Amino acid sequence: MNTKNTKKDLQNAQILNLDDDFSLVKRFIDGDESAFAVLVQRHKEKIRNIIYLTMNNSNSVDDIAQDVFLTVYRNLNNFRFESQFTTWLYRITVNKCKDYMRKIKIRNIFTPIKEAEGKTEDIITPESNDISAIVHKAIGKLPEKLRVPLLLKDIEGMSYQEIAETVQCEIGTVKSRIFRAREGLKDILKPYEEELML
Amino acid sequence: MRKLYAKYEILSAYLDGELSAGEAKELEEKIEISKDLHEKLDELKRIKQLTVSSVKRLPEAPYFETRLSAGLNQKGGFYERFRKWIPAVSFSALAVVLMVFLKFNPGVIDRLVEEQKSNLAGFYQENLRPLFYASDLSNEDVFNFAFSKQLPLDKSNGQYLKLGYDQGGKEFFEIKTSGNNVPVNNLAKFTATLKLNNAQKRQVDSILESYAGDIQTQVLVNDKNTVAINPNLWNYNKAIVADIMSFARDANREEFNKIVPAGYFAYDNPDVRTIVNKVKDNKDNNYIFFTPDTIFSEHYDFDKEKFKEEMAKAKEEMRKGMEEANKSFREMKINLKLDSSFNRLKNDPSWNKNFKVFIDSNICRVHMSDISIPDIQFPDFDSISAQVEEALRNIPQIIIDMPGGKGQKSYSFKYEFSDSAGTPVRVQIPNVDSILKSIGVFGGDSLMYNDKTDHFLPDSMASMFKMFDDSLMHFNKDEFKNEMKQLQKEMERMREEMKRLRIEIHQDTLQREGDDNSVEI
Repeated sequence: MNTKNTKKDLQNAQILNLDDDFSLVKRFIDGDESAFAVLVQRHKEKIRNIIYLTMNNSNSVDDIAQDVFLTVYRNLNNFRFESQFTTWLYRITVNKCKDYMRKIKIRNIFTPIKEAEGKTEDIITPESNDISAIVHKAIGKLPEKLRVPLLLKDIEGMSYQEIAETVQCEIGTVKSRIFRAREGLKDILKPYEEELML
Repeated sequence: MRKLYAKYEILSAYLDGELSAGEAKELEEKIEISKDLHEKLDELKRIKQLTVSSVKRLPEAPYFETRLSAGLNQKGGFYERFRKWIPAVSFSALAVVLMVFLKFNPGVIDRLVEEQKSNLAGFYQENLRPLFYASDLSNEDVFNFAFSKQLPLDKSNGQYLKLGYDQGGKEFFEIKTSGNNVPVNNLAKFTATLKLNNAQKRQVDSILESYAGDIQTQVLVNDKNTVAINPNLWNYNKAIVADIMSFARDANREEFNKIVPAGYFAYDNPDVRTIVNKVKDNKDNNYIFFTPDTIFSEHYDFDKEKFKEEMAKAKEEMRKGMEEANKSFREMKINLKLDSSFNRLKNDPSWNKNFKVFIDSNICRVHMSDISIPDIQFPDFDSISAQVEEALRNIPQIIIDMPGGKGQKSYSFKYEFSDSAGTPVRVQIPNVDSILKSIGVFGGDSLMYNDKTDHFLPDSMASMFKMFDDSLMHFNKDEFKNEMKQLQKEMERMREEMKRLRIEIHQDTLQREGDDNSVEI
């Protein structure tokens, strides 16, 4: 009986171990391509949401997410197991978002003026009574440096440590940026103080 | 402020559960006793709550893995990995190819530059025509060019070309639109001072005319706002001075010696002829081109004979009254504008090689450091240029003393020489006031006449003199006497005429009165 139980525990532990990100990465490095599929399955939604939050729109989320996993696939063999797999993955994600935003900026330089004029910024109007929409737009107005740590904390529930590793800065900086983001949000939402009960 | 900021930052971290147990406990104690911290924590909580509730998560992407799988199959190859390096590799390869190519063909860049230069030069050399042909270069202009080194480019707006020497003795020329300080009627003053007779005056005119045609071809313009200047213009300047001074000395040595300073040496006619011929035969047609794009030096052969033919034809057509020909001739008037297009040339680095250019709103000066003036050997002419200027200053100006009071009917004229006390000349003038008054030449408004003193007021006389032709100002004693005698005779004749007219009118009136009376009966 005891022997049977021990065997079962070991099997469970092995399954748990196999399901762990590190194990999946090891399996992939050892040539098991299916491990990569599990990694994708496990993290794709989080990655898509981080992209969505970082970019502040859903237009290119899947393209960037595809690009993130392609990069992971190509570089997974070089993973050094010094940090969590998710930290590495989120860092790639945030960097891809930054690359994408940089490309858009460059493209806008060469966009004809008339076309560029046509693109109007989202404007928060007092008539808008959807509180979520108002706050969402207000978050979009925050600078990227403040917006990303705030959303990684409040939406993705990451710790300051994880955020610091993802955006590659100090924990103190993350703490400061999250506080400044909240202060900035309060200022942007000042016209709606009463509606939002701020 | 910074302290307060840090205090609230800790609150924010506390809210996120990022403080250690000890730190959290300490802060909670502070919050309990501080209303401010309490309120701030509530505010931060509300903002966090708003953030959490406002952001909706994306719906799942059902075909994400399928698409990724397709992407992996497509992009997993060598090409895909290599693709991002394509731009860098391409540029590097191109650079290497270019380096190798230039190594074996070192002259290709120079040839390309020369070709471009020649294309540019060709473009700006199209339709070049002599500027002064269109702007009517008079003998006075040629004379002023000789002695003041100025040529009018556009008489309507006062634009002119000026030659000069900088402090280092290097030549420069400048195109200016203001500040032309050449006195008027220089040529007339010159001939009057030398007391030249009509035949000699004609000779001076003929000398100047002979240069006018050549000077025309030294400054060319076209409809592309290009001005091409031949540096040989400097030699023409010297040649004209030598020619005129030589003639002046031979024409009236006595008067000539009065105006030129001691030690001035005018060259003998044969020498001058040699100089002039050298200048005119010079074939070094390296023009300096002012264009809206740049300033450059380039060889250019202007076909003077062909142009003369064209102009003769145009004039002939004009004479026939052909409107179209009129138009085409008018279009030949081209004005150089020192506008923003010239100003932007300041940034052209190629200038420093050959030119030093100074541009202001109304001046464009080009110092020609590396452009050589065609080398005509003037026998030490430069050293006497100061003497020539001095001689010009000695050309007399006329001072006229206005009659001061009643009965004074004489005017005093005086030559002013810098090296003498002056040569006063007194001229008796008939009673011009009364004549002018009686004939009403200038009308009531233009002159103020004082009936009590029977005299025109001095101020008004000054204004009257302004109305006289400038030729009166360069005074010739005999000529003036003759003029005045002539005027006196004219006045007498007019008086007689008026008298006769008055008598006729009187007789006519009497006759009419007689006629009227007869009707009444």
